Amino acid sequence: MSDDRIILDNVSRFYGEVLGVNRVTLSIPPGITSLVGPNGSGKTTLMNLITGLVRPSRGRISVLGVDPSQPQKLFRLVGYSTQFDTFPKGLSGSKFIFSYLRLSGRPAAECREVTARAIEQVGLVEAADRKVAAYSKGMRQRIRLAQAIAHDPRVLILDEPLNGLDPLVRSKTIALFKQYAAEGRHVVISSHVLHEVDMISDQVVLMSGGYIVAEGGIRGVRSEIQEERPMQFLIRCRQPNLMASKAFEQDHVVEARLLGEGEGVLVKTRDADRFCRALNHLALNGIDIEGVIPVDDNVHSVYEYLIGGEEATQ
Amino acid sequence: MIRLWCIQVLAIIRLEMKKTFLSRRGLWIYLLAFAPVLLFMGQSISTAHRRDELQRIASEHPISSEDLSTLRTGINRDEVTQKLGEPYYQWRGRHGQSEQAHCKYTDGTVDVYLFFRDGKLAGIDRREFDNLPLFSQIFAGVFQSYYLRLAVFFGCVGIFINLFRGEMLDKSLHFYLLTPVRREVLLAGKYAAGLLATIVIFTSSTALQWLALLWQFDDATVAAFLTTTGWSQFSSYLVVTALACVGYGSVFVAVGLLFRNPVVPTAVILLWEGVNPFLPAALKKVSMIYYLQSLCPLTAAPANDVPGFVHLLIAPVQPATRPMAVISIVLLTLVVLVVAARLSRRMEINYSTE
Repeated sequence: MSDDRIILDNVSRFYGEVLGVNRVTLSIPPGITSLVGPNGSGKTTLMNLITGLVRPSRGRISVLGVDPSQPQKLFRLVGYSTQFDTFPKGLSGSKFIFSYLRLSGRPAAECREVTARAIEQVGLVEAADRKVAAYSKGMRQRIRLAQAIAHDPRVLILDEPLNGLDPLVRSKTIALFKQYAAEGRHVVISSHVLHEVDMISDQVVLMSGGYIVAEGGIRGVRSEIQEERPMQFLIRCRQPNLMASKAFEQDHVVEARLLGEGEGVLVKTRDADRFCRALNHLALNGIDIEGVIPVDDNVHSVYEYLIGGEEATQ
Repeated sequence: MIRLWCIQVLAIIRLEMKKTFLSRRGLWIYLLAFAPVLLFMGQSISTAHRRDELQRIASEHPISSEDLSTLRTGINRDEVTQKLGEPYYQWRGRHGQSEQAHCKYTDGTVDVYLFFRDGKLAGIDRREFDNLPLFSQIFAGVFQSYYLRLAVFFGCVGIFINLFRGEMLDKSLHFYLLTPVRREVLLAGKYAAGLLATIVIFTSSTALQWLALLWQFDDATVAAFLTTTGWSQFSSYLVVTALACVGYGSVFVAVGLLFRNPVVPTAVILLWEGVNPFLPAALKKVSMIYYLQSLCPLTAAPANDVPGFVHLLIAPVQPATRPMAVISIVLLTLVVLVVAARLSRRMEINYSTE
């Protein structure tokens, strides 16, 4: 199996008769990969499978060539920030990170240094010596993240890592993920916050009912479904009527709707590439186009089309 | 590799120490462990007080020990009075057609209780207050019937089952499983932490019980006892206590790892250990209590009025030899730990079903 990818090969997991995930086949490259799906879609199960916290009922998993059933190797490569909001009793933030780091066998002095660095990265220096039990939700989220990144892993698995974070910390955390991805590491995130997923992900994995519904770059996924769900473009121009009639001349355009005064034309097409070429042609032939905005070329729209709107949260 | 495992085991022990020693959930274990210390202390104080009282009575009504020891049932009341004088306590009454009387004499160390029916001596009960070997028999009885069977057993239940179950319930076990530690090493670390805690708690209780028992005697009596059989008995009790923690610990760490509800397996094990004396010889050997009792330095001698089955509970009929008992406990422990270690590889985190 590949040494630079997280690979799930036909993986299924059942909890008795309840389906966790079913026949999941994925190959996750370095970069930021977001798992998106409604509650119960199998995102956490998938993360737990990748990190060996649960075992697959069927199929094989490899994380950079390591089987998750070998924690002694896996967790030298992987850091996992779970969604479980519980901690061992009586430990301060720094003691918590330090104590579990010691399990890796590093010397105490090195663990202290690494702990301090991780705590600094998540901005918890002032609260480091306070008991975790006294932390706010956002601080608990950050200390979990600190534990996941403390040993400088090549793979970071993060279950809803942005939950409970204030906007400033949220943007710093996202910057950290981007930095990790830029360094060629794997960052796998599950999130409900679709606009953030859209903003930071190199690829998305859409899940529903334990199945992978779609995966890949968001634009690639969007174009794959344009036959059933024509892509929408908002075109701002000075001659909206002419623009609408010219658009209708294209056989792949299924709808061209004039919006209110000065708001432009909304065009739905089954072939975005050909439509964009046609727009270039129209612009060259004298139609003054001020702007072209893809309206549903994002995770939120893809999510709604593939999974259903009622579960999309933000 | 072994060095790394040792470092990891030590790190796990450090993490577990506070939980095993100072957990609020485990305070009852201290009560269980140290209850016999209170018992022996109370008994010691009461005995010392009683001995002082008897010595005072003996100085007021001097009686020779020889005269007391020559009393035989069947002699009449007047003969007793002639020999020993007036008792320091007496009571007379009728029960149906018979006339009954009780009286007490003492030489300062033995309290002799005489029971007369129709003027004849019908029963003699001697209570010795200066007989250390006799008290060590009492200690043996308490140690084998209560301390091993209940205190250490349930103490190990409380500490070892919580090593995994407690963390499952607290939803914090996953932090261990997210570290580069083999599951087998995790099991070994947790077992070692539990062992350290139970051995410290229960052997210190054994030592304190012993101290409380000896406290009532004068230095010369204690020194004489220790130099003859005392030290050997004392060290044996410490070893038996530690081995009980080793054996029961392995069983209950496995129970905590494998069973979502440990009450049923614990009850089954308690029952199995309880009925051990009544089992055929081959089955007897598949238990911890059989080997532990075989290692005890004294066969507890319960009072004559104690039912036969209690005799069986306190002392094995055919004890194993000491080396065989130690080897068997260690082997049973290793087998249980190896099985638990293999099963620990399949351990999963699924808090939602807890």
